[in-house]
Amino acid sequence: MNSLTETKRRPTDWQGAEMQKRIAGRYAAERRFKAMGMAAIALSAGFLGFLLVVMVGNGFLGFTQTELPVEIDFPAVTSGASPSQFQGPNAEANLQVMGLREIVNSSIEIQYGPEGTDLFSSGAWTAVSAKILADPDIVEQKTAVNLPVASALDVAYKDEGNPEAEAKVSELSGQFSTGFNWNFLSNSDATDPMQVGIWGAFKGSLITMIVTLMLAFPVGVLAALYLEEYAPKNRLTDLIEVSINNLAAVPSIIFGLLGLAVFLNFFGMPRSGALVGGLTLALMTMPVIVISGRNAVKSVPPSIREAALGIGASPLQVVFHHVLPLALPGILTGTIIGMARALGETAPLLMIGMRAFIATPPSGITDPATVLPVQIFLWSDEVDRGFVEKTSAAIIVLLLFLLIMNALAIYLRNRFETRW
Amino acid sequence: MNYDQKILEPNESVNMTDSATTAMNTESGTPKMTARHVDVFYGDKQAINDVSIDVNMDSVTAFIGPSGCGKSTFLRCMNRMNDTIPIARVTGEIKLEGEDIYASQMDVVQLRARVGMVFQKPNPFPKSIYDNIAYGPRIHGLATGKEELDEIVESSLQRAGLWGEVKDRLDDSGTALSGGQQQRLCIARAIAVDPEVILMDEPCSALDPIATAKIEELIHELRGKYAIVIVTHNMQQAARVSQKTAFFHLGTLVEYGETTDIFTNPREEKTRDYITGRYG
Repeated sequence: MNSLTETKRRPTDWQGAEMQKRIAGRYAAERRFKAMGMAAIALSAGFLGFLLVVMVGNGFLGFTQTELPVEIDFPAVTSGASPSQFQGPNAEANLQVMGLREIVNSSIEIQYGPEGTDLFSSGAWTAVSAKILADPDIVEQKTAVNLPVASALDVAYKDEGNPEAEAKVSELSGQFSTGFNWNFLSNSDATDPMQVGIWGAFKGSLITMIVTLMLAFPVGVLAALYLEEYAPKNRLTDLIEVSINNLAAVPSIIFGLLGLAVFLNFFGMPRSGALVGGLTLALMTMPVIVISGRNAVKSVPPSIREAALGIGASPLQVVFHHVLPLALPGILTGTIIGMARALGETAPLLMIGMRAFIATPPSGITDPATVLPVQIFLWSDEVDRGFVEKTSAAIIVLLLFLLIMNALAIYLRNRFETRW
Repeated sequence: MNYDQKILEPNESVNMTDSATTAMNTESGTPKMTARHVDVFYGDKQAINDVSIDVNMDSVTAFIGPSGCGKSTFLRCMNRMNDTIPIARVTGEIKLEGEDIYASQMDVVQLRARVGMVFQKPNPFPKSIYDNIAYGPRIHGLATGKEELDEIVESSLQRAGLWGEVKDRLDDSGTALSGGQQQRLCIARAIAVDPEVILMDEPCSALDPIATAKIEELIHELRGKYAIVIVTHNMQQAARVSQKTAFFHLGTLVEYGETTDIFTNPREEKTRDYITGRYG
């Protein structure tokens, strides 16, 4: 036997030129691979950085508004309004009957001439009413307030507007100031870009996500647990598995059509509501949760199941006391991915009427609502130049929403992570 | 007990004879578990062929045999852990105190509490040491209050010889213990539900000699309180810890008898070959 191997094999020459070349080639391949990997990461980091810089650069302006000072001589234009009227529960009602709009408009006309009101945003007077509510004493004084200018002027001041507005800006230069646009955070959609806000869409997104999570998470987790732990392995469960995998790959607009046909037409649920939107997105999110949930359940070591069964735990106790807690971090990872996708989804919601012009934030799951990505889509479609920066600002809000949601989920996942 | 001596001198046949004789003399009444004509199939493949065996309360029974001979399979039939394998099928009759454990009215969950199991690889729950022990009593409602539960935890750990090592860190994770401690934790966990029989499936195969010696000593101490069945590859271990030994080969029970007889004077040729190391 020994002589056989000796005759067949020639001795290995580890120091030979050929061998050295092979080794050098192997190291070169490794260096190439590392360089390519680093280039790929640099490229994606570059794209991300570019996106962030552009978005923050543009969107930042969306959070500010250009203002002009207006002097309002309250004692002269109101017939003896007292600060006490604007305190307590009747404050809002008293403001309404006060005729504040006319008061503000006449003050503007005194200062900027008969065409002066065109300089200001149509909702400028609401800034004054907010001021009165915050500090009722000003109705007895002569006060100067900074009011938001009309959209065309705002654009011209910040950037480049139409020639007419640019001329006005240079005429009034020196008087402008820039303030934080609180309206953007508290208002909903409007026709005037100076008056639009993101709150309605934000709240719509929040309610829709809650509906989605409430349905998709329990159903997805239960389906994953049943399929992994209970379901017999046969052709039917194979078919179900294939169907779920396919469902996860179905284009989202198809889910929109499904939602339209099932929830609106068949069940007659209220159109445009967060309920229908949430249900439709839940259909889309569920397969993702089921697939990641099954993988997480599968990765729980069988020894833990045996240990629990061995001391007389029932199968249900095994699942809920041992398997589910250990699988939860993995399930949450899948849920993050699914929910992030649902949050950014526009197409299916267009089908079920969530693209309507909604000027009041929804107060429940059946109220007409819209969501952040749809709002972005709608604003990007507007002709008015003032909407451009609002669109960017809305994108920042959406990305922040996403970031906070993911951070929360990662925090939860780390909390449930078991140290072995 | 001097562990080193135990490891260095595995042949304790003189001591063994005494205890085995005692076991034989005190053997009376009905056996704890009886198996009659048990066959086990995995799909079409027969893993166990017509095995009949009695397990007594006052003796440790060892199952020995080469790999794949079906000793673990048979052990797992004794508390119906094989139910978790969909293709496994058991015929014949296994009785626990006269009750057929494969009868339809038998509650599997309760059976597994009465017939506890310790596995090859230590598998503590990734929970605290306390919760590892308390889990069984909790799900079976064995303790009415916190104090009673504390007492069960303490006595179980004491019986498993682990109390002194862990009493100050009951809140630490069970997985943070060493391998041998983990295995004793698993034994304590099995004891905590007050079983009648404890099945051990190669409990020392993943442990070092010192941890093995501790487990073996523990088995000695548990004898008489529980009927113990141990599957082992280590023949010295079988000789050291058991009073009765069953030799399995290719799914059949070749020989079953007093450990001393099996090791010193086997009846069957196959047993002799295996014991003397001619194959296996």
